[in-house]
Amino acid sequence: MQDTNVMLEARSLSKRYEDSVLALNEVSFTVEKGEIFAMLGANGAGKTTTINIFFNFIEPSAGEARVDGIVTHKDPLAAKQRLAFVSENVMLYPNFTAIQNLDFFSRLGGRKDYSRSDYHEVLLRVGLQEEAHDKKLRGFSKGMRQKCGIAVAILKDAPAILLDEPTSGLDPKAGFEFMQLLDTLRNEGKAILMSTHDIFRAKEVADSIGIMREGRLVMQKSGAELAAENLENLYLEYMAGKTVEA
Amino acid sequence: MLRLIIEKELREIIGAAKFAVTFGVCALLILLTFYVGAQGFKLSLARHQAAEAENKRQLEGLTDWVQVNSHRVFLPPQPLAALVTGVSNDVGRTIAMQGKGELTANDSRYGDDPIFAVFRFLDLTFVFQVVLSLFAILLAYDAINGEREKGTLRLTFANAVPRTTFILGKVVGAFAALVVPLLIPVLLGCLLFSNMGVNLTSGDWARLGIIILTGFLYFGAFLTLAVLMSTVTSKPAHSFLALLIVWILAVLIMPRSSVLLAGRAVEVPTVDELANKKARLRAQLWREDLGSMRGFKGNDSGKPEGLMAEFQSFMQSLSDERTQRMNAFAKQLNEERRNRKIEQERLALTLARFSPATCFSLATANLAGTSIDLKQHYLAEATGYQKTYADFMLEKTGMALDGRHMMFRMQGDEEPEPINPDELPAFAYKPAPLAAGVNAALPDIGLLALFNLIFFAGAFIRFQSFDVR
Ligand SMILES: Nc1ncnc2c1ncn2[C@@H]1O[C@H](COP(=O)(O)OP(=O)(O)OP(=O)(O)O)[C@@H](O)[C@H]1O
Ligand SMILES: [Mg+2]
Repeated sequence: MQDTNVMLEARSLSKRYEDSVLALNEVSFTVEKGEIFAMLGANGAGKTTTINIFFNFIEPSAGEARVDGIVTHKDPLAAKQRLAFVSENVMLYPNFTAIQNLDFFSRLGGRKDYSRSDYHEVLLRVGLQEEAHDKKLRGFSKGMRQKCGIAVAILKDAPAILLDEPTSGLDPKAGFEFMQLLDTLRNEGKAILMSTHDIFRAKEVADSIGIMREGRLVMQKSGAELAAENLENLYLEYMAGKTVEA
Repeated sequence: MLRLIIEKELREIIGAAKFAVTFGVCALLILLTFYVGAQGFKLSLARHQAAEAENKRQLEGLTDWVQVNSHRVFLPPQPLAALVTGVSNDVGRTIAMQGKGELTANDSRYGDDPIFAVFRFLDLTFVFQVVLSLFAILLAYDAINGEREKGTLRLTFANAVPRTTFILGKVVGAFAALVVPLLIPVLLGCLLFSNMGVNLTSGDWARLGIIILTGFLYFGAFLTLAVLMSTVTSKPAHSFLALLIVWILAVLIMPRSSVLLAGRAVEVPTVDELANKKARLRAQLWREDLGSMRGFKGNDSGKPEGLMAEFQSFMQSLSDERTQRMNAFAKQLNEERRNRKIEQERLALTLARFSPATCFSLATANLAGTSIDLKQHYLAEATGYQKTYADFMLEKTGMALDGRHMMFRMQGDEEPEPINPDELPAFAYKPAPLAAGVNAALPDIGLLALFNLIFFAGAFIRFQSFDVR
């Protein structure tokens, strides 16, 4: 039965690339409104591939990804209206200022009602210092770009946010503030799917955690279930080859 | 959504440093073209007027129209030819008028002033053909693959953006980014033109307008080609290189080599070959005649004068027949050669039209009235005038002149009155009408539009399956 609270859903998602690498193997999970799902996993485990399928950047070889019930590869435009995206390495127009970039991508996302002060406010919220707001992106550090990317995602105000290692490049303070931000967004009712390598932060903020290995989701547990466990040990165990759910 | 993408594209292109340089060079060249064109036109006009005056001066002091034997007509300089040179400097401008017979035009500008042949490239056609196409490539070679390399394509398509809208916005944006700013130097150039005293008729303005629109269509062809290439290759460096090669082929090689290729495909006998054939026939006819001469027998009247006369008339008839056959043969050879030439020209043009650059220069020359038809048109105009001239002379002198006769007239005692040169009807050259120019240009304009369409369709199709990651 379809749970009306489910915003994001992967159903037996498989992806085999042209060079026959099986990047995803029957991955299934759901993310509800007001829930944060953190995906952990080694490099090459299939996290980015999963997110790419939600945006229809690639089509699944089998199975399907759904956003609010919409199958992404069947109606990608409708699905993408409901999704915001933060990539692991945010790239914006280098010749535009932070505000200009925000303005363009907000409009592209269908929001035409923002004013300059809204942009300033969001940029301050993600921790970008005021004097950088009207500077061209060309001179920005990776962390500063990342903050802009997060601002773009917030401004789109979509019901679901997909983040691929969003904290890569953020300094510790910004990383901490980012987790608080995620918490606020969850409380606003957003469904959040995040891939990360940061076990501790994941445990801190996520409602549910999945571990991926070689294209398989080898473990999925709620935050409550994990509260008593040592996630780091668990992660290492699964990486070492454990498959049965503990 | 489309407007948003176009706006972004405009802002991105115009904000980039390469645009400032590109636009600056383009604007400067366009203004320079108008300036040089106006100067050149004024110079030609002054020469033309001097030649006319000299022509008239030669009539002054003559006392009888019979003495007129060096009346000449001139092709007046056209202001548009200063912007779209075409063949206007290669055709003979002067025709020695005669009462009958075929007219020939002599004294081309390049013949008189070889220095102009060196500077022939600086006209609007050149600026558009070479510079604008290069800038189209410069602006759009990384339209799609550049955005992927930058990483912005992925974030763009994380939104509900239809691919069709995006690529359309890209092309329209890049087009507007250069064309709209370029209208400024073009308008300034037009102002400069009329400020420098070059007066264009409303028909000329219409022609110039269509020429500039055709230029933008040509720009569009290279722009869409560049966008297409940026969807075919994954790296901007690769698409740039590929486009440069295509540009060299299309702008520099194809228009020239097609003439050579057509020369290979369609043999046209050379003038020497024709002369050879004619000589052979002449020798053969001569031998035949020699045979019949040997067989000549008078009809035995015994009188040597009678025989002599008979022989002479026999020789005359032989010679007449020979000439007749030679003429017929020469006519046939010339016709064959001309047909071959037409075929060759047609093939060369067909081959060359695979390049937008050729289409563009053919279209603009037709619009400006400086295409290869200019010579024919000028000769036709002059031939039309020839009739007026002959009628006038007939009326004045009572005889049809072909300027090659010695005339003697009895003169009375009274002092002869000088003739009034103003009575001679003037040669009023009318350029080919606008509609004819437009009609002649239409196929090439259509081809340019087709290039736009094909390249855009290619880019569009490629982009549907383009990996935006
Ligand atoms: N375009 C591609 N073509 C072929 N194989 C690919 C492609 N993209 C990813 N892969 C393969 O798919 C597998 C999963 O890659 P993916 O990028 O999803 O991993 P990831 O979990 O995001 O890793 P990381 O933590 O390093 O970001 C890897 O084996 C990778 O080599
Ligand atoms: Mg990844």
